[in-house]
Amino acid sequence: MPSGQPLPPKENSLFKRILRCYEQKQYKNGLKFAKQILSNPKFSEHGETLAMKGLTLNFLGRKEEAYEHVRRGLRNDLTSHVCWHVYGLLQRSDKKYDEAIKCYRNALKWEKDNIQILRDLSLLQIQMRDLEGYRDTRYQLFMLRPTQRASWIGYAMAYHLLNDYDMALKILETFRKTQMVSAPFDFEYSELLLYQNMVIQESHGILDAIKHLDMYKENIFDKLTVLEIYGSLYLQMGEYHLATLCYEKLLRRNQENTPYYLKIKEAKQLHNDECVYNMLCGYRKKFPKALAPKRLCLTFASGNTFRSEVDSYLRAGFHKGVPPLFVDLRSLYKNKQKVQIIEDLLKSYVNNLTMFNSFDSEDVSVKEPASALLWVYHYLAQHYDYLDDIQKALTYIDMAIEHTPTLIELFVTKGRILKHAGDVYEAYKWLDEAQGLDTADRYINSKCAKYMLRADLIKEAEETCSKFTREGVSPMENLNEMQCMWFQTECALAFQRLGKWGESLKKCHEVDRHFTEIIDDQFDFHTYCMRKMTLRSYVNLLRLEDVLRSHPFYFRVARCAIQVYLHLHDKPPTDASSSNELDTGNMAPGQLKKLLNKQRKAQRKAQEEKAQALAAQEKRDMHKNRQQVTNTSDEADALPLDELLPEKLERVEDPLEQSIKFLKPLQELASDNIETHLMAFEIYYRKDKLLLMLQSIIRSHRINPDHPMFHNCLIRFMEKLLKFKNIQEEMQLVLNKQLEPILGGRSAAEINSQFLAKHHKSLPALFQGLKMKYKLDNSSQQEVLDQITKLDDSLEDVNIQTCTEILNSLINGEIGEVGHVIEEYRKTCFKRFPLATAFHTDQDRSPMPLWSNSCKTLNETHENCVSN
Amino acid sequence: MSAEPTVNGSGSPEEQTDGVDDVNSKKINKYDSGAADLEKVTDYAEEKEVISTDDISGAMTIIGDRRLKEAADKIAKEKELQKVSIKKSDVELIIREMEISKTLAERTLRECHGDVVEALVALTN
Repeated sequence: MPSGQPLPPKENSLFKRILRCYEQKQYKNGLKFAKQILSNPKFSEHGETLAMKGLTLNFLGRKEEAYEHVRRGLRNDLTSHVCWHVYGLLQRSDKKYDEAIKCYRNALKWEKDNIQILRDLSLLQIQMRDLEGYRDTRYQLFMLRPTQRASWIGYAMAYHLLNDYDMALKILETFRKTQMVSAPFDFEYSELLLYQNMVIQESHGILDAIKHLDMYKENIFDKLTVLEIYGSLYLQMGEYHLATLCYEKLLRRNQENTPYYLKIKEAKQLHNDECVYNMLCGYRKKFPKALAPKRLCLTFASGNTFRSEVDSYLRAGFHKGVPPLFVDLRSLYKNKQKVQIIEDLLKSYVNNLTMFNSFDSEDVSVKEPASALLWVYHYLAQHYDYLDDIQKALTYIDMAIEHTPTLIELFVTKGRILKHAGDVYEAYKWLDEAQGLDTADRYINSKCAKYMLRADLIKEAEETCSKFTREGVSPMENLNEMQCMWFQTECALAFQRLGKWGESLKKCHEVDRHFTEIIDDQFDFHTYCMRKMTLRSYVNLLRLEDVLRSHPFYFRVARCAIQVYLHLHDKPPTDASSSNELDTGNMAPGQLKKLLNKQRKAQRKAQEEKAQALAAQEKRDMHKNRQQVTNTSDEADALPLDELLPEKLERVEDPLEQSIKFLKPLQELASDNIETHLMAFEIYYRKDKLLLMLQSIIRSHRINPDHPMFHNCLIRFMEKLLKFKNIQEEMQLVLNKQLEPILGGRSAAEINSQFLAKHHKSLPALFQGLKMKYKLDNSSQQEVLDQITKLDDSLEDVNIQTCTEILNSLINGEIGEVGHVIEEYRKTCFKRFPLATAFHTDQDRSPMPLWSNSCKTLNETHENCVSN
Repeated sequence: MSAEPTVNGSGSPEEQTDGVDDVNSKKINKYDSGAADLEKVTDYAEEKEVISTDDISGAMTIIGDRRLKEAADKIAKEKELQKVSIKKSDVELIIREMEISKTLAERTLRECHGDVVEALVALTN
């Protein structure tokens, strides 16, 4: 039974026109027709017209009016499926999917076979990945409209997504038989065939997939894909000769596609590097202009062959001046022998180029351009930087800068070296210098902003970015609008370092919302892809969205948020002023002073900017008002989200629950990363949830039982278990059963001493082991301190980060009262990492030999630039 | 009431054909190249009738049979699970310690034949 308020013919035809206008997005006209019906006093409360008017208003951005009209319409006509449907659509546009589904169900109660409502329901079901519900709805649609293409495709796809390949293939094949090839180039039929083939492959029917291709390849126009499918199918079948032929054909299309060469290697079953090298030499001859085989040769060559190969590769690069040459070759550095060969060659180049202007010392007839030496210096700087020899790296980059003081790449490299040396502040200065040399280069601009954020200069970074953001909008807002995640993540981390917890969380939530938005954005493609028959891409899209939060960008920001929430749990902010209070305990005095200066400056700037922003806001408001008067509006979906307020985020009542929201996606999608489970442990440790701690312990143990932080968690877990009284019997049984394989009956002290014995050479492991040793037995303090502060050359994995952590744990009293040990350890670290600001005091900051040298070059270049 | 509101997508706020919005939308287009293409994604399109009914009667029967079997399987499995008796206190323990929903807790417990230790072992793995 449709409506309780039927309209007479004239009004009814008007109503139909409203619907037509809505479909064609002519919202203004739709409103006109609605007005014509509603202005008649007899129909002023006509439910369906009110509902449609509301829906139309919604798309003009007038959300409140929209809700009012739709609700009023529904109240007036509760038995109308149109009113319910419209209410569902309205909820859907606000992303309230559950509510929308309820509305659709109500609508279907009054009109159970309504195609349009069923279609909309199916869209929500696939969006929510209610795959079984989707299948059922698609079944209904299929039975109602078996003559429509979408009914078949949708129904088959439902089975495909449920991994029921058999059924999916049956439907697809029956459907394919009904398709006449009408046009000579029927692209949609071609895509259908490729989709069918995809399903066959996924059902592990390799042979069937080949037969299918053999039969229909004439009708498929994506020839590249056909060849690639053939190639991979033949490989899987072990038809190596045929596979080789396929990939050789593919190579003729594109000689730069590295994976093709590797596939041929696989097809020819070459397990010996030398044979691969010989094969690659063949292709190099065949495609003399191709770069890919030349580069691949280096990967598979060794010994003297490698020497002569890399020699000519490097010479060509330096002759031409290829800035990313080092990046290109970096993957070879896993092999120590190759590194040595490269280093020897580079040294000889420097020698010969300075003496003879040639790479060779014997044949000096071929003269190189002056820039060759420059690029060799540049390469050497990166080479030594990679090998952690900061001293040499700086020497070579300074030589390069002296050679050519205006080359941007050199400044960037120098900045990177300093960053690795632990001086983010100086690093940023060099990047800023580089940026100044070419303000129109967006790459350098972004790099510079990133280095500023590493140095916690958030305002400055924003200002730098503003050169490329939209005018008239605050850069921070515009970067958010553009989903510029790297920037927001670095901001979050900078705020975290500065102890501005609320600001940091705000950035984390902003990035999280981008991910939600990307998931929401797939909605429109459910209909579009089916209509356009781009089914393979559509299924790939669905699969991508399913694991979207497995992206490293999400991991980084989730980790930051979890750490901040854990901190807020451990040290909740006390009063209003505390948000500006700093975690100064962890900082060297020099750093602190700098920071305070910076803050004062930032405050002043912030005030000025606030005034500016206020003025801008007023302007905008005025503009908005004008817009509303003229009845135009944009920002249809700008309204619904809550505003993120730093003060509120910081004072959240349940930080641990909040952190779990960030943890959940990681547990689901990044479960092979041990950090996920270590973070889970930290959360549940604070919640005293034994079994969830156990879960994290088991999962991290499975990934890497030798991870230092895992060891730390395990010992703390065992300590915690001892403190628990009256553990419920069932839980005790679970704990015993699950811990047995990990503990093997050992006590915490035994596990710890075994761990220390096994990893006595690695500093991060030693640090955690010793920390636990002190925790288990306070009387071992002296012994622990002696070992933990020893930085001799036999130790491995000594880096700035671990040393900083050790220094902080001494300062924070994690090894008890230690007095002068802190200062001594700082000096030890300072000696080892002279540039790292983490180990500086004020005195260290002032002139050092190395330091003044770089300052000089910086000033010189500055003058040079000015004179240029 | 034969015509229905046909909606496929949220649409986009700026309406390009409208005279009043023209200036505005031009400005927007300058920044969002490709916006016009995106707009097309939400266009409405009528489904065409493409298949004659004769071709498909065979397939319809296969699909119908299959549906019946699916429904029967599902019911059988649910019935099997419902037969398992579980203790309320066990469910509560699982919910409290593992922080999962009641449905999932009950389901796991049933799948482990009501053995709470086994269920917890499964959940901590």
